[in-house]
Amino acid sequence: MNLMQAENSLIPGDAKPARALSDPERWVDEHGDYLFKFALMRLRDPQRAEDAVQETFLAALKGGQSFAGRSAEKSWLVGILKNKICDHFRKAGRETTFTDLQFYDDEEGDRFVADGVGKGGWIHELGPQEWHKAGENLDNELFWKTYRDCAGKLPTNVAAVFNLREVDGIESKEVCAMLNISEGNLWVMLHRARMALRRCLETNWFAKNA
Amino acid sequence: MKFWNKIRSACAELFPNCQEAVRAQSEALDHPLPLAKRLSLWLHLLICKWCRRYGKQIKFLRDAAQGHLEQFTEAEPQELSPEARERIKRRLQDQK
Repeated sequence: MNLMQAENSLIPGDAKPARALSDPERWVDEHGDYLFKFALMRLRDPQRAEDAVQETFLAALKGGQSFAGRSAEKSWLVGILKNKICDHFRKAGRETTFTDLQFYDDEEGDRFVADGVGKGGWIHELGPQEWHKAGENLDNELFWKTYRDCAGKLPTNVAAVFNLREVDGIESKEVCAMLNISEGNLWVMLHRARMALRRCLETNWFAKNA
Repeated sequence: MKFWNKIRSACAELFPNCQEAVRAQSEALDHPLPLAKRLSLWLHLLICKWCRRYGKQIKFLRDAAQGHLEQFTEAEPQELSPEARERIKRRLQDQK
């Protein structure tokens, strides 16, 4: 993954070193919180998230880039942080087993007809409801809070898989290699994560704001 | 008897129930489904509004998260603690 190279190539050649590297403390004030949130969401452990942020700044200091704007600087730092987080998962995938199949073992069995003619069909009152104008929620801060809270209820491993695949958009094969799991296991975990998240958002957002 | 079993399993493949259809829709977000599975899913979605909604919604959840990374990240309530902030600053000073 050449995230860092990709980020660097975005910078125009004549960019003024307006935001010189001489002041890394300013980095901590300007970008520290965002990077910490970004890392915490994925690592689910404040200590690890802090470490990842610190490593990111140290690597950035060594990298010795300077940028002509706050947002270019921020995306460069996020690029480094992403690599640090991936490194963490690679290590964790080697050391522990990443599959969490206990979670939602019944695949929402309570929402489907258990037996008889309609077996495996949605129990109609419990099936997915219409989400009216779902797209209009995307600017609503409270919607994102609900989304985050729902994602926060997933078991740690399932959440890690969900974030890598759905939020960061990393290809399935790459996620499997990183976490050392089979594609079959990845699909099962993702299916359950999506199912739980959909249900949680329906109950806690769409049903209330209809 | 064997013959009937074969017919039965062919039917089951051609007409997935909802539980199978939602699983297939999730899988389709991660890799292209084999043709037979794609066709049977399509048939199922023609007649099942619940599974149609389900598919639309899990797709919405993905697109929302990927397209609004900033909002998603900012919704995280915890911030870097003052102590951690100071520690990192000191560490950076040492490196300079």
